[in-house]
Amino acid sequence: MSNCETTRETIGAWLDGELAAAQAEATSRHLEVCAACREERHWLERLHSSMRSVLEANGSEIQFEPFWQGVQRRVAQKRNWYDELGDRIRGTFSAPRLAWAIPAVIVIVLAGLSIDSFFPSAKIGIQSDNLATVESIDAYGRNVALLHEGETNTTVIWLYQPQESENDSSTEPSETKPSF
Amino acid sequence: MVIVGLLRNPDDAMEVAQESFFRAYRKITSFQGQSSFYTWLYRIAINICIDHQRREKRSPLEFRESMDEVFEQQNEVARDPFSDVHDRELREKMLSAIDDLTPEHKAVIVLRTLEGMSYKDIGEILGCSEGTVMSRLHYARKKLQHKLSAFL
Repeated sequence: MSNCETTRETIGAWLDGELAAAQAEATSRHLEVCAACREERHWLERLHSSMRSVLEANGSEIQFEPFWQGVQRRVAQKRNWYDELGDRIRGTFSAPRLAWAIPAVIVIVLAGLSIDSFFPSAKIGIQSDNLATVESIDAYGRNVALLHEGETNTTVIWLYQPQESENDSSTEPSETKPSF
Repeated sequence: MVIVGLLRNPDDAMEVAQESFFRAYRKITSFQGQSSFYTWLYRIAINICIDHQRREKRSPLEFRESMDEVFEQQNEVARDPFSDVHDRELREKMLSAIDDLTPEHKAVIVLRTLEGMSYKDIGEILGCSEGTVMSRLHYARKKLQHKLSAFL
């Protein structure tokens, strides 16, 4: 027999006649013996009937003659190209499609980044000679530099030295101004 | 009637309903008969409604004012004054509670309550599974219960 928690989760679907036979049977049996769940059932029935009458009262005001006239007017009038374009863009970028677009973009970007690993000779992805690296330039790891290593020369883009090591250090960086 | 239930403002609903029929007329060649024509037409209308709700969020006050006009025009037979006050308050609270639902939750509640559609048909219209429809209905009803428990 189902408990109160399970019944309350399925009671709406039970009232809608959308539960599988076994589940519907379990819900019925529980409702026969549980006063609190029966009260929940009656509340949902009151909600359904009240909501229906409120929504129907609103819909009863529809005037059908001007409605069809409006449809006919839209059919007759020529639409601007930007309205058509707007419809297409809205259709393309509506929320459900965007939900698929985000992982798709991530996959494409990752594929672009890793393509060099699979086709090193193709030089399609991000080229490794465009990358800069942060490296330690002494034996203690205290002085670090942002280096751009080209095929012919190495450029120091940025150099970090702690205050005390600057005083001790006798080496002068070849280029300390930031390149960008 | 479903569109009026979703948007509440009669002028907006009229615009959206007309646009729905117009788009169905333009795209009739894309209807392949995989679902019923009724479901296909509803899908167009509901999508336009949801887009419209996201674009133009009207204030609850505006909704209430437009609904008040509708109820005043109905010339209901005078009953017990207490009952009228209670009914009016219930209507306002109910409209406000429905308005606070997300467009997706509102769509399942209105399609089920007004049209009595099956979960399968609602799922086809909204492009989701029957399980999702069941779940959305459950949570929509829970939210309504939370807000209306003192009035029903």
